Amino acid sequence: MDTTLPHQFVELSLNSLKHIQNPSFQLNQQNIQHAFNYEEPPQTLRLNPKPILLKPTYAESIVSAVDTSTIKIGDTSTGMVIAVRGASVWKQNKHYRYTRLGPFIYHITEENKNYVCNVLERTYFSAQYEPNHQAAPNLLQVPTRIANILERWLQTMLSKTIVNGLILFDGSLTSGTADTPSQRMREILANARTRGNIVLAFSKMTTLRVNGHLITDSLPQHKPPYLLEADGFRPKPPIVLLGNIYVARLTKEKYAFRVDIDKEVPPESRIEAVQQLLGNDVFAQSYPETLRLAHILCTFTANEVLAMQHFVTRRFGVQIINRPDMHRLLFGPFGRGEIYS
Amino acid sequence: MKLYRKEGNILQVLNFPNETVEKGDYLLVEDAEARKALIAQVIDVQFASMPGVLEELLRSLPDGGELLQGEDVDPLEIAPHITYIQDAGLVLCKIRATVENDNLSPSSSWLPSRSQSTIRRLPLPTLLKLAKVEGKLPIILGSTKDSSLLTIDASSLDGRLNIITGKKETGKSHLSKLLMVNLVGYKATVVVFDLNGEYHSLGISKDGKRNAIYDKIHVLTPGQNFKIALKQINLHVLLGILIHALHLPGTSAREFRRIWQSLKERDNLTLHELGETIRNWNCNQHVRDALFSRYHSLVNSGFVTDNIAEANLLEECLLKSKEHGGAVIVNLRNTGSIDRQIVVEYVLGKLVESLTSWKLKATFLFAEEAHLYLRETYWDDIVTRMRHFGIFTTFITNQPDTIRDNIYRQADNIFLFNFTNEHDLDVVSRAARVDAETVRSIARDLPPHHCLALGKAVRDFPIVVKVKAMDVKTMGETRLFFTDTASD
Repeated sequence: MDTTLPHQFVELSLNSLKHIQNPSFQLNQQNIQHAFNYEEPPQTLRLNPKPILLKPTYAESIVSAVDTSTIKIGDTSTGMVIAVRGASVWKQNKHYRYTRLGPFIYHITEENKNYVCNVLERTYFSAQYEPNHQAAPNLLQVPTRIANILERWLQTMLSKTIVNGLILFDGSLTSGTADTPSQRMREILANARTRGNIVLAFSKMTTLRVNGHLITDSLPQHKPPYLLEADGFRPKPPIVLLGNIYVARLTKEKYAFRVDIDKEVPPESRIEAVQQLLGNDVFAQSYPETLRLAHILCTFTANEVLAMQHFVTRRFGVQIINRPDMHRLLFGPFGRGEIYS
Repeated sequence: MKLYRKEGNILQVLNFPNETVEKGDYLLVEDAEARKALIAQVIDVQFASMPGVLEELLRSLPDGGELLQGEDVDPLEIAPHITYIQDAGLVLCKIRATVENDNLSPSSSWLPSRSQSTIRRLPLPTLLKLAKVEGKLPIILGSTKDSSLLTIDASSLDGRLNIITGKKETGKSHLSKLLMVNLVGYKATVVVFDLNGEYHSLGISKDGKRNAIYDKIHVLTPGQNFKIALKQINLHVLLGILIHALHLPGTSAREFRRIWQSLKERDNLTLHELGETIRNWNCNQHVRDALFSRYHSLVNSGFVTDNIAEANLLEECLLKSKEHGGAVIVNLRNTGSIDRQIVVEYVLGKLVESLTSWKLKATFLFAEEAHLYLRETYWDDIVTRMRHFGIFTTFITNQPDTIRDNIYRQADNIFLFNFTNEHDLDVVSRAARVDAETVRSIARDLPPHHCLALGKAVRDFPIVVKVKAMDVKTMGETRLFFTDTASD
């Protein structure tokens, strides 16, 4: 496994941009940022109404987090130009530090999409996984696929470098999807456990429901911080769940999140991990600051999108053509995409 | 640079970090197809409103107010592009003229192509050449930002009303001395009301030697070498002094007129006789008291004498100046408020008299802080009536609100130094020859010794100039108590 700077990300990026045949591209009319969060179809599960009360543990331990983001920069006649960026953040000695990788810009076409994904898979994850996990994505899924590869690579790096710490993922510990092969996630969790780390995955949104209500809405009248344990969730194969599901309300605000904690970790250690997190990180709206920073650092701003369009135009001679947005053209203010304020 | 917007006579130009533009610079917006170009002056430089900049700034500051420490691995080197976009500026410009076939017109009614126009900085020498600012009687005001000299024509001050204003210690007096010395050099007659005694050494260079204009500087100090005899004064000049400077009521003024005529008929116009006549004049006691108190004011001023020999200096100086050019400096430094008004009333009356009788052709009058000695009605007189006699005034003040609005509106040239006070800027922006935005925006940022020249002297192209140094002995420095500490 390659643990140095992800040079293949760079090479593929440059190669893909050099081979834009028709050097004109259309500005993306809807810059949608993708945050990857696999949500399973609603299942029958139970939520233990008795809260597990938490007390912050102030013994110092490293808190780290990873997040990635992708955005479409514009369309070309043969595909699209996208950008991917990832960030690792860790809190040590009361200070946050970060490593931010990217942006990596790709020109993705029907012709090169498989090549790009396969080269990245092969370079960074040499293990052979189930054939369906290697299934070629459609063009619109490629940005997500590339960002996932970067995210798993960053998670792997953290799991191999941090000792006795807490590693926060964005999303859940569900795997077995095309973007997250279960073997890959198992390896990451195993690497983490080997070094005494515990992985906690925070989902900003969940579709899991109990009695028709979202699990994050069914909160008991109890003073936070506390966890509610959920069980009985049985995803359909090949999807597997590698964590135990909890609902965490960690601050006074009425926000709660689904938190998946590595199921191979003993139950008491899982609870202790959350208590350690409470004692070592800052919380606002029940969400850990480290993970929030990772998200903020990798998210693309409109200014950066402009800069990347500028880069693509300057460096690769791609002429930007602003074609009309057909939705706006046809439906005016009723067309999707623009926010009118 | 790219043309972004035009609203009225305001242009908005997008400029990028590698294109340095500052307030006061001129831009040429050329539309090759239309064969025309706009000349626009930068009045403000702002950040372009870029989406996402706030988020960009916010995310770099979340760690307890300190910069978040970390490493950015940016292999494609996008960061410079982000900075490039983030630092893009929006330049607000005021359209000053249109150039067509090398001719200037003040029009801003056409729209240059947004996509095809080229925008570049217009060097000031090129602008000055286009605007034909130089003339046959050059006065070098100083250097512009691009190190070229700003030369105005002395004739642009001729027959004009000028204002030099700015806050304390920005160089107003220095500029007025520069203009004065140059006018004297062109054989003009200049009269200065020198409130702080800072003009009298203009004939001496910094090393203490006499300079070329030494013989043309005539310093008149009231009560010392500058006195008047009653026989020399016209009745209306003296009445002007009594009514306006000494506030003599109308009834008493009428009695005074009779007394004066009586003395004149007897050819007995002396101070002593005037006093005696008032004492013995058959009139109301209150009138007599009023006349006596004014009489004593005149006597106590030391400005009035019965000795004709020591009382004809002003006329002499004016006549000398008429031949070879010269400056009559009326030193008001140690003169009290009332006496100052008496002197000014007399000098102005005498000037009008000399000009009316064509003893003088025209006079450039420099008045420092004129509100301290000029009576209310003179303001209008100076800008209307006296201009026709040939008195061309330059007001110098650090309190712009002491000059009336109508003076600003009629000013032909304004030399504006730094002001930070909003109220002061408001007052000056009422001048007819300049728009309020230019005054507010540029004057606020002027460094010391830099002035914004506005008006006919610069053909209505506001230009920032660093006023050049002069080789004359400086007298306008403020006296300090902590001199040793200040010099450290």
